[in-house]
Amino acid sequence: MALQKVRLMPNRIRSLWAIMYYLGFIPVLRNPLFIPFVFSSPFTLLFILFVATGGTALPFGIAGALTMVTTELGLFVGTDLASYKIQNKFQDIVVASPVSPLTYMFGVALSELLFGAPPLIVLFALMAGRGASVVTILAALGVVGLLWVTTTSIGFFFSAYSPSTQNAFIINGFIATLLSVLPPVYYSVSLLPAVAVPFAEVLPTTAAASLFQGALGLGYSIPPLFSFAVLLMAAALLLALVSFRMKWREP
Amino acid sequence: MFALQAEGLTKRYAHGKSPALDGLTLNVSGGQIFTLLGRNGAGKTTFLRIASTQLMPTSGSVFVLGLDCVKEPRRVRERIAVTPQDAETIYPLTARDHIMLSLRMRGMEKGEAMRRTRAAIEALELNDVADINAEWLSGGMKQRVIVAMSIATQAEVVFLDEPSIGLDPVNRRRVWDQLALMRKEGRTVVLTTHYMDEAEILSDTLAVVDKGRLVVQGTPQSVKGSSGGSSMRVEVGGGFSADELKSYGKVVAVAGKNRVLTDTEGARNLSDAALARGTGVSIGPVTLDDVFVDILGGAAEGEADA
Ligand SMILES: Nc1ncnc2c1ncn2[C@@H]1O[C@H](COP(=O)(O)OP(=O)(O)O)[C@@H](O)[C@H]1O
Ligand SMILES: [Mg+2]
Repeated sequence: MALQKVRLMPNRIRSLWAIMYYLGFIPVLRNPLFIPFVFSSPFTLLFILFVATGGTALPFGIAGALTMVTTELGLFVGTDLASYKIQNKFQDIVVASPVSPLTYMFGVALSELLFGAPPLIVLFALMAGRGASVVTILAALGVVGLLWVTTTSIGFFFSAYSPSTQNAFIINGFIATLLSVLPPVYYSVSLLPAVAVPFAEVLPTTAAASLFQGALGLGYSIPPLFSFAVLLMAAALLLALVSFRMKWREP
Repeated sequence: MFALQAEGLTKRYAHGKSPALDGLTLNVSGGQIFTLLGRNGAGKTTFLRIASTQLMPTSGSVFVLGLDCVKEPRRVRERIAVTPQDAETIYPLTARDHIMLSLRMRGMEKGEAMRRTRAAIEALELNDVADINAEWLSGGMKQRVIVAMSIATQAEVVFLDEPSIGLDPVNRRRVWDQLALMRKEGRTVVLTTHYMDEAEILSDTLAVVDKGRLVVQGTPQSVKGSSGGSSMRVEVGGGFSADELKSYGKVVAVAGKNRVLTDTEGARNLSDAALARGTGVSIGPVTLDDVFVDILGGAAEGEADA
């Protein structure tokens, strides 16, 4: 039994690597327009905010863009997975193989995250330029990671129920907007009417944005520990959902 | 031990009127090529998807290599591979990428994966196109790439849903050769097809399903024998009334032609009568297609499967 475990580990990494390489790197390398596409909305909002406020709202723009870039990166994984499932029937091949749903999801997601790195680096550089310490930046990276796990899982989960590739594209785009434009992502939670605050506070995007806002020296309008807890719980909940409740084998 | 065992397998889809599978029971020994034959909508794909752990049955049981597909799907998945019906190549991977992906994601070591990929490319005559975007390949080439993804694995049981669809006769035979090779390695091949000749030439055992039920299972020889013991088929042109034809044997209607299944004696009499009237006649041994048409009452070949 122990021997089998030892042998299974490198296989899982091999498996993850193969999926990253063939379903992530190669497609993005051959279709590089994917990158500007994913980042067009977050940076548009950042730009409008910057211009409209004469530059004073730039930190809010950075916090918002960090949140939205991460959210879109995660959700777009779902769109790709939906087309591998519906159009290529590739997911059928994966289901009837030793590859687990988590390995499959993270294989595709990790490679897309890698391509999402340049805009994230720009945003982190802007954060550093505003005087954030190394520790703060590392913590912010952790926040990006938790939010990414959450939104990737949401995208994957919904992709399993999409009747068509177009549907998955629309649903994921809609969720991305819903999660990163309406809630206090590009603005402070204190601007919300009091009744809306409790609802907004438990959203992982609000939590992430609030932490980024704090890291950018805007102060924390939600206690940071609370936001961290929300993010951790969201990530754990959705990972569990994908592991145990995913429509992997059709009912 | 059986490689595949189904007992009372039933599947009702959420929006289906009648069950797609209705108490299907069958056994497949290991190291065989087993073919599921049936008309469109007979339940072939449903069966394959349940047995390959992609779909839950409504009731009944399936075991692959003695492992329960419902209760221990993970252990089953270690040992199977599938080629789904209507699978498409992934843009913008090459043929080689597709096969490598399928092997590497299953944890195969790189050198071994490259070796097996090369062999599959060679065997399925994809050499010249192995390294271009598979999207640019012809339909038949794409289908061979899709098929190669499962047969190049080391899975002990390989499920192929209509693997030879869209292939020309030469390439169909190339795929058959590969399936025969898998059998030689002791692996079990479970396939569906609506090409009768394919089922007849290739299968060790075949099962005819209709409306989700097993109609007959056995070797191609024994299944052919199930059509009332006729050994010959005679096709004649016009000039015979239906009643007259019936007096020679069993009449099966195929696209307006008069086909009669009969014994040697009947075949001789009918062809003599046809020659005497100067209408065309052709004689041959009963084929699986005849039996299929006879027991299911309709042609399967030539229609695109749903
Ligand atoms: N997802 C589904 N939902 C409802 N009915 C389905 C579904 N898939 C297949 N069916 C029905 O189940 C029956 C068997 O289909 P299938 O297994 O695909 O047959 P075959 O592969 O032999 O053509 C058909 O009547 C088909 O319409
Ligand atoms: Mg089918």
